[in-house]
Amino acid sequence: MNPVIVTNNLSKWYGNVLGLSDVSLKIEPGITGILGPNGAGKSTFLKLITGQIKANIGTVTINGKKIRNNYTLFSMIGFCPEQDSFYEEMTGWKFVASLLKLFHFSAKEIEERAEKALEIVELTKDKDRVIRSYSRGMRQRLKVAQAIAHEPEIIILDEPLNGLDPLGRRKIIRLIKEYSSEGKTIIVSSHVLPEIEAMTRKIVLIHQGKVFAQGDIHYIRDLIETHPHIISIKCSNPRELASKFIHEDYVLSVHFDSEQDSLLVETRNRDKFFALLPPLFVNFKIEVQEITSPDDNLQAVFDYLVGK
Amino acid sequence: MSVEVRDIHFSYGKVKALDGVDLDLPQGAIGLLGPNGAGKSTLIRILLGFLSPDRGGGKVLDYDIKHQQTEIRRYVGYMPEDDCFIPGMDAVSFTSYLGELSGMPRQEAIKRAHEVLFYVGLEESRYRMLETYSGGMKQRLKLAQAIVHDPKLIFLDEPTSGLDPQGRSEILELIMDISSKKDIQVLISSHILPDIELTCSYVVILNKGKPAAQGKISDLKEIKYNLYEMRIKHEREKFLQVLRDMKCRVEETEDQLLKIYIPPDLDPQEIFRIASEGKTQIRHFVKSQTSLEDLFAEVVGVD
Amino acid sequence: MTIKEKGYTHWEGRLKNGKFPWWPITRYGIKLTFKKKFFKFFFFGTLLPALVYLVGIYVSERLEDFKSMVRESPALLNINPGYFKSYFTNDFLLFMMVMILVFAGGGLISDDLKYNSLQLYFSRPLRKKDYFFGKASVLVFFLLIVTLIPGLILFIFKLIFSGSFKFFVSYPWLPISVIGYSFLVTAFFSFYALLISSLSKNRRYVAILIFSTYVFSDILFGIFYGIYKSPYFSLLSLKVNLQQVGAFIFNQKMQYSVSWIYSFLVLAGVCVLAGFTLKKRIRGVEVVK
Repeated sequence: MNPVIVTNNLSKWYGNVLGLSDVSLKIEPGITGILGPNGAGKSTFLKLITGQIKANIGTVTINGKKIRNNYTLFSMIGFCPEQDSFYEEMTGWKFVASLLKLFHFSAKEIEERAEKALEIVELTKDKDRVIRSYSRGMRQRLKVAQAIAHEPEIIILDEPLNGLDPLGRRKIIRLIKEYSSEGKTIIVSSHVLPEIEAMTRKIVLIHQGKVFAQGDIHYIRDLIETHPHIISIKCSNPRELASKFIHEDYVLSVHFDSEQDSLLVETRNRDKFFALLPPLFVNFKIEVQEITSPDDNLQAVFDYLVGK
Repeated sequence: MSVEVRDIHFSYGKVKALDGVDLDLPQGAIGLLGPNGAGKSTLIRILLGFLSPDRGGGKVLDYDIKHQQTEIRRYVGYMPEDDCFIPGMDAVSFTSYLGELSGMPRQEAIKRAHEVLFYVGLEESRYRMLETYSGGMKQRLKLAQAIVHDPKLIFLDEPTSGLDPQGRSEILELIMDISSKKDIQVLISSHILPDIELTCSYVVILNKGKPAAQGKISDLKEIKYNLYEMRIKHEREKFLQVLRDMKCRVEETEDQLLKIYIPPDLDPQEIFRIASEGKTQIRHFVKSQTSLEDLFAEVVGVD
Repeated sequence: MTIKEKGYTHWEGRLKNGKFPWWPITRYGIKLTFKKKFFKFFFFGTLLPALVYLVGIYVSERLEDFKSMVRESPALLNINPGYFKSYFTNDFLLFMMVMILVFAGGGLISDDLKYNSLQLYFSRPLRKKDYFFGKASVLVFFLLIVTLIPGLILFIFKLIFSGSFKFFVSYPWLPISVIGYSFLVTAFFSFYALLISSLSKNRRYVAILIFSTYVFSDILFGIFYGIYKSPYFSLLSLKVNLQQVGAFIFNQKMQYSVSWIYSFLVLAGVCVLAGFTLKKRIRGVEVVK
């Protein structure tokens, strides 16, 4: 797949304060999650790729063209910012419509597009009320509406699920996945890691102004060598099972959880360990209830790379 | 039972916020969920002793919710969702001040404030002015002031809001530690279901002023017998074919997760025999359950 | 031998239902006020008139000794209720009291509104009354120190310097007037400042408003009086209203021929307005959003 957004040695600082340092990324169509601690450089990154600020060093290109001050490219991008800043006296409808005007659509198109966007985020029945009367969830949905109304190819969402109740979150996640299957490029920045996991496996982890990890969560996990994998097995006789592989040198530790009737195994070689298991279960008649990998998730990856 | 209320009704003028709520909350951590406008805040206001119900009554911590509201507030801790602090104070002064207002003697309040600030991880910044605090620190401070007077019931409103992944993880750990003590009740209101699943064993889902579901999460989530989620490696096609031959129904999600429905006469352990013979590794094997999210959607009735 | 348990520990004490649950609020408010720059300077300045008047009493008693220095008529230093009235209602003192309000009252409630801390207060066993009482007590503390205390001290020192109870016998109601007027002016200014402090989230606006409303009301009076010469315009000026009521309480002649009752009503009206506004602005129930 051709990457849509490419950054080369992107660096930005504000006086003495570091924003981003030497970031070279290729972002492809589909959903990419951006995560990182506060102050890591995520917002700087998003501002740079949407052309809102100018980099000190490096370039950002979208489909091969430089983004900065390239107005034609702006119509390809939809941005849903984290902060709320609305004209409180406008109605929801007017807000979306007036932003659409900036794209030089005809009046009829504006009406159609605004209707469609508001319908997608389920604000149709509140579209004629002033924004001042909107609840937090409604404001959030309005922000998403203005980001998608002009049907951009690239959609960038900064904390899009903030303030939404579980159903609202679900709907927006579904919407994002739909756009992804239509071939659009979507970047989602969020602190709530389980939600990124619900949307995508591709992530970019930014920390201290640099990219600490990029790619599929599971592959990244594999690459983190300093932390052996943890595997949890819930079965009928954990101790007996453990005794069968405890002599293998790739089994680093075994921990018994008597409450749960399970054991936690630390291993540096998952392949060998997993290959070992099914025959053991069969031969020694061990009844298995559950096998999971507790640290094969985004929070663990984050903790290993960023944590103290 | 630290919270027992019956038939609570409440209206703001013509708008009915709570329409007959019965609650019997057990010990431990309880999640309070519901769409916006379901009546959560109203219920909390009544439980914390700020509002009197139009109809119905009950007790919180053995104090009557209609007649002993001030007492309830003495033994309850509240961690608000929004930012709130008092300028011109450092963390120790702030926490002990609020402890005093709860009824602690001054010296005790100061002593306890230090303890509690150590506990929430603010020991190094406890003499700094609050204006200099970051978002994560402010959140921990809010937790500290909620527990300084050693309440028997703590209410946490969106405790992880605005925090970065590290902050979230730390606050959730603190919450789990507090709720593991058998004599404090923790009530958490949050929209982030994974957080609730991690910390709570019991949930109340409110919808349109009534509880749409309440109970232990493990009871509410149905275990779908004979439906298993799996991830495998090596000899995939062969493995799946054997399963299909044995009359299992196989589905695959886009994430390469397998959902396998095993006919009732087939022993699930057979799967391992098949894997062993076919040299397939089984890396993930879990009995499928409805997720909390699905439960929520089902119970709130909208999709 | 034991090891301290890791993790959350309980507090073994008991929460007491104190008689003054609002006391920490007052204590903190006073501390915060003293931290402000220049406050001590203004506070000291407010006590200056008391010092001057005290010296005056001393001088009047030792008039013989000072006769050589003082050639004006001794009537100037005649200590009578009028002397007290002129202490309590002098422009400078009232003005300085307003400055104290600016320092102590600027952020009193407006900070709580701005930083959302009402949630923290009202999730405690604190009634609205306690909250207001605690906040008001900060102002009452400072104001009484510059009115009641000096007033009583002047009275007592008069008795001490004159060496007899004659003064007390002549004007037995004077201590009551001192106490009464002190409380009246303190109550009025407290309500006034609390009212304004609850109107805005910005402590600077509040400070400016406290100061300028007082000054402006007097200027307004001056303008209208200058044009129309009617004494009824004196009801516009907060300062003059206080002075009129003061004159009545100390049994002196009023400066403007308007009954002191009207002045009192104006002052009381402000207090009532404050009461309603505060009730409306501070809603305990909004603790949970």
